[in-house]
Amino acid sequence: MGPLEILLIVACAAIVIGVVVASIVKKKQGKSSCDCGGDCAHCAACRSQINKK
Amino acid sequence: MKRFALAGNPNCGKTTLFNSLTGSTAHVGNWPGVTVDKRDGVYKKCAEPVKIIDLPGIYSLSPYTPEELIARNYILDEKPDCVINIVDATNLERNLYLTTQILEMDVPVVVALNMMDAVKKSGDSINAKLLEERLGVPVVEISALKETGLKELMDKAFNESKKIREGSTVLETSPLGHLIGDVKIALKGQNVANPLFHAVKLVEQDEIEANMHKETLPMVEEFKKTFNDEIFGGDFEALVADARYKYISSNFASVLSKKSKDTTKMSKSDKADKVLTHKWWGIPIFLVILFGIFHLTFGEDLLFLGKIFSLPSLEDLGLLNEDGDPINFGVRILATFYDGAVMSPGVWINNVWNDLIVGEFFGWLGGLVEESGMAPWAIGLINNGIFDGISAVLSFLPPILVLFLFFSILEDSGYMARIAFILDRMFRRFGLSGRAFMPMIMGFGCSVPAMINTRTLADDKERTATVRVIPFFSCGAKLPILTAVAGAIVAFFGVGNADVITFSMYLLGIVTAIVCVLLMRSTTLKGETPPFIMELPTYHVPQFKNLMAHLWDKTKHFVKKAFTIILASTIVIWALTHFSFNWTFLEDEQVNESILAGIAQLVQPIFTPLGFGSQLGSLGWVFVVAAVAGLIAKENVIATFATLAACLAAVTGLDLGGLAIDAEDGIDAVQAMIQATGITIPGLIAFIAFNMTTIPCFAAVATAKAELGNKSTYHWTLVFWLVASYVVSAIIYTVGSWWWTIFIWMVACAGLVACIIMRNKKAAKRLN
Repeated sequence: MGPLEILLIVACAAIVIGVVVASIVKKKQGKSSCDCGGDCAHCAACRSQINKK
Repeated sequence: MKRFALAGNPNCGKTTLFNSLTGSTAHVGNWPGVTVDKRDGVYKKCAEPVKIIDLPGIYSLSPYTPEELIARNYILDEKPDCVINIVDATNLERNLYLTTQILEMDVPVVVALNMMDAVKKSGDSINAKLLEERLGVPVVEISALKETGLKELMDKAFNESKKIREGSTVLETSPLGHLIGDVKIALKGQNVANPLFHAVKLVEQDEIEANMHKETLPMVEEFKKTFNDEIFGGDFEALVADARYKYISSNFASVLSKKSKDTTKMSKSDKADKVLTHKWWGIPIFLVILFGIFHLTFGEDLLFLGKIFSLPSLEDLGLLNEDGDPINFGVRILATFYDGAVMSPGVWINNVWNDLIVGEFFGWLGGLVEESGMAPWAIGLINNGIFDGISAVLSFLPPILVLFLFFSILEDSGYMARIAFILDRMFRRFGLSGRAFMPMIMGFGCSVPAMINTRTLADDKERTATVRVIPFFSCGAKLPILTAVAGAIVAFFGVGNADVITFSMYLLGIVTAIVCVLLMRSTTLKGETPPFIMELPTYHVPQFKNLMAHLWDKTKHFVKKAFTIILASTIVIWALTHFSFNWTFLEDEQVNESILAGIAQLVQPIFTPLGFGSQLGSLGWVFVVAAVAGLIAKENVIATFATLAACLAAVTGLDLGGLAIDAEDGIDAVQAMIQATGITIPGLIAFIAFNMTTIPCFAAVATAKAELGNKSTYHWTLVFWLVASYVVSAIIYTVGSWWWTIFIWMVACAGLVACIIMRNKKAAKRLN
């Protein structure tokens, strides 16, 4: 396995782990990971839900 | 940092003002109830930065729905430094009803007379100076849309925020004025903040206040025993409302000078409504408009001109070479909008994007990877796994944007609110009010904000039913599935039109939603249908800035998602299809021995009644994998097909005709699946229906959980989605494959209806 292949594996692992960790952090922060394309005025809703709890 | 709250009636322009002040791009729609939660931003042009809080629209401070409660609680509990009360100047008297209530709070208030441009345009005028004198608080004329008067408004609000203001009421001279004064003194003695506001609400016998001030309530009850109004009797809430309106009409009506004294004259909006909201024509017009949108987005034969005039194809004109490719670049450009028919704007933009931009770009990138000298598996991972997956998803950006441009135009013009109105009569028969249609139509964009918007529904059971059916309104993320499968059906089998198939699937979602609501409201979610009162906004030409903001947000999010969640998913799927359970690397042709195939083949038989199970043979599991991957994000369905296309080609040895292996088009990826598995048209339609109606993406599921509150309701909702999608897809597949099975389904439906009727009759008897 050459350096390019190793680099590829590292990059792929970093992408997958990064996406998973980012979504967990986002959720913990109370931000929405929704699918609205920013076309939504309600992200504060998630924060307020957490504050209420 | 000082905090200014924006409060006002629904659809008076609060969010437009919020966006203008803070530079935000929060969703603005020309219908009441777009905003259902508070949000904040910073205005930097005052002496010091100010936090602006946009509150949901409210008609009064006696809340009925959750979002009205949010607005009331914010002003009372968070004590903003100033309340900017936005008043729709074109509807002055009605808007001042809320103003008279806000004035009762001990908080600095500035009134912003919004939409003054519209007032002036109609030739009317408002004496802001006189209004200011009578209200006792500053009044500023503004236009949030044209961004006029905003600096003056904010400067005045900033000055007012430095002052201490005690609440005042217009009810002093009303029959209840004395009682309000006494209750206020009593509450003041108990050190209650905003005593006047609470006193008025307690006299109105507001439920929240009655629970909060139980010790003072007897005072009101005692007075009630000795009081009887000729018209309202002991209904103090009605009495207070009447007193407010009487005060407003006698004191504030004179500030408005109308150009035309003839109140019977119809406005342009009224004239348009006579046609668009017509009792009989309203719904057919809506369906025609909806079809027009789909035709302009997906139609490959604009206005069916190609068929009508039998226009020649590029091949007939001798503009293609022996391989069927354009003979030169000019013909390649021509092929993007003409080939035996003029293509719709959506298809044209789509072709330019896919043939000339995405295709070329990923083709070039793929070439670089091929020449890099990497191991074949690494080239396969990058080209077949990642590039094909991402490009297949990105290929659907144009139709999504074109479709949402049309939806934004409908929303911004004010027509969307009319649809809720015309559908109310129909919805009422199924146990929902027309108000429930607004969150449903939002579901065409995304289920998450749509589910949150159900907060505008006062009845819990109506809310639950609406949340459950929102995913049936196909969202933007499901559009790639619809477009790719519909396109592949047309391209591979040569039947139908892509626009007709897509439009029909959208209608199928609506019909399924209606049937499910009817079932729920007749069984587990029985209840009274709440009355529907909705203010119809004036029609206006959609704002270019708003439309572009919507599209930009959509694009940003779509591309971001393609390079995060979709990218990660394609890597995981590629890895799971190239390793066996004992972690041995597998070549493309060994895909059936992979971890993913092993797991999916176990589940595959479950989908046999839906047309994409065991009947598809050893490779049919790809449809199961795609459907499951869609639970993370619906775009994953097509990305999965594109990622797996090369493996399937290797297994079957099929010549996929240069489809998904080297093309970056989602439609080609689905064609590859059709060739490899032999799935039928009913199976494909059932696959679309299953993905449209089954459990939505993770984000929507999490929102449903938060909005439904109750754990058991949430769990039943998951079951509902699974059962509904299974039954709908099974009906489509069986009826599509064997037409006579329609009779079996009809008998089953009749049996179900009979059971429900009998059950309800029994329940009614028990109650009696």
